[in-house]
Amino acid sequence: MNRTEWGSVFKRTKRNFRAVPHLHVAATSTVVFSLLIAGMFLILYANVNDLIDAWKRDFRVIAYVKKGLPPAEGESLVKTITEMEGIRGAVYVSEDQALSRLKKQMKHRSSLLEGLVENPLPPSVEIELARSDPDEVQVREIVQRLRAVPEIESVEYARAWLHRFSGFVTFFRLATVVGGGIIFATTVFICSNTIRLTLYARRQELEVMKIIGATDGFIKMPYYLQNFVEGLLGSVLAVGILYGAYGIFTTKLAAHHTLLSAGNIRFLSLWEMTGLIGGGISMAWLGCHLSLRQFTKS
Amino acid sequence: MARLEANGTTPAIELFHVFKRYGAQPTLYDINLAVMQNEFLFITGPSGAGKTTFLRLLFLDEAVSEGHIVVNGINLQRIPRKRVPYLRRQIGVVFQDFRLIEHYSVYENVALVLEAAGFDRRYIPKRVRQVLRMVGLADAGTAYPPGLSGGEQQRVAVARAAVGKPPILLADEPTGNLDASTAALVFDLFAQLHGMGTTIIVATHDRELLGAAQGRVMRLRGGHMETEQPCS
Repeated sequence: MNRTEWGSVFKRTKRNFRAVPHLHVAATSTVVFSLLIAGMFLILYANVNDLIDAWKRDFRVIAYVKKGLPPAEGESLVKTITEMEGIRGAVYVSEDQALSRLKKQMKHRSSLLEGLVENPLPPSVEIELARSDPDEVQVREIVQRLRAVPEIESVEYARAWLHRFSGFVTFFRLATVVGGGIIFATTVFICSNTIRLTLYARRQELEVMKIIGATDGFIKMPYYLQNFVEGLLGSVLAVGILYGAYGIFTTKLAAHHTLLSAGNIRFLSLWEMTGLIGGGISMAWLGCHLSLRQFTKS
Repeated sequence: MARLEANGTTPAIELFHVFKRYGAQPTLYDINLAVMQNEFLFITGPSGAGKTTFLRLLFLDEAVSEGHIVVNGINLQRIPRKRVPYLRRQIGVVFQDFRLIEHYSVYENVALVLEAAGFDRRYIPKRVRQVLRMVGLADAGTAYPPGLSGGEQQRVAVARAAVGKPPILLADEPTGNLDASTAALVFDLFAQLHGMGTTIIVATHDRELLGAAQGRVMRLRGGHMETEQPCS
């Protein structure tokens, strides 16, 4: 298309927006609502995923040592453990160190620990495994070897729980894909019907254009542009609303000092936002394309 | 009325054994016809004889069931779908019901043809004003079709059909909704365009118009085409 044809296309796009504004508001709102739902899922999914990754990275086995073990023996125990196969390193945490850590973690509620007569926490050895993402069998083998060490009273690790949680994340991921698919299909359907209504309102104009020798591109382009604008506007609005809601949520969370820290919850990354906006535009575009394809065939 | 003779020696439109069927019954039956360049041809016949179908075949609004149509050397049965708009730019069409876009001004209705064909933006206003002057609507550019009389609307339709200077102009019952004096005015416009070298085919059952016609008249009867009156 040359400059004249593009000029006419833009003029007709503007005219389309003015002619049936309620249809465009409906299409844009559909994109906004769909992306709000998709965006909330995406934020939740991204944060849960980050959490799992962090837990996997920080995965440690903790061996609780019998109380009253002299510090020198503690150091020798660390040496013994470090020499075991499949273990990268180990750190001895004394009773006092454990208590001071707990106080730090409890921050505002640390006064609760003031009344303790005796330190109830046992000394321990924090063990880092050689593999960052070991499987269940490897972990069990190492734990068995650790339990055989006489100075060790008990061994704890969060692997089994982590595996169960990973199962939940897989399910959550699947639900996100299925839910996202349903949202996508619904939005495409609504956008497609909006365009169909616009085409119906414009059928006289479209018939005339065909007769006077307008190409398909010249006829269709205003509708593609219209849907591009609706998709872009709808998705940018949705991202804006999500960001506003995220801001309010994290502010409230920070004010209430809950166990869930506001600083740990992140908003969508630039790529995720771009993906969401791209998804919104794609939904609107595809809806338009399906209707126009049907129109061209007829 | 001016003499409406064909000046060309080569055919603008040729039909070879053309059939058009809707269901089993043919609407058009074995039509063979050559329309010469710059010829003024009338197609007549009773309502339902197939006049509109005949015209629609020529600008590919309908496809033939059998046979071949050649327009300006292009076989319509072999034209790729993408080339159809370019063929249609060679053919101006005027309808009985005008087919104007109601929410476009008179100027916009006429200019749309040139915009769709990608004419230079500086040329479009000049050409549109020129053709609106020709049809006697120089001052009606900003008016909208619903505010115009039937005769004025039909003149806008003629302006739209003529603005791209197509070598062929088809008119389907162009005076069907007009009174006698307005019909004569519209017919004069066709005569003017014919004088400029345009091949014109008018489908009509307007006896008055046919009585005054000096071009060739073909009659469609029962799907067959017969010569009614030789070119005078």
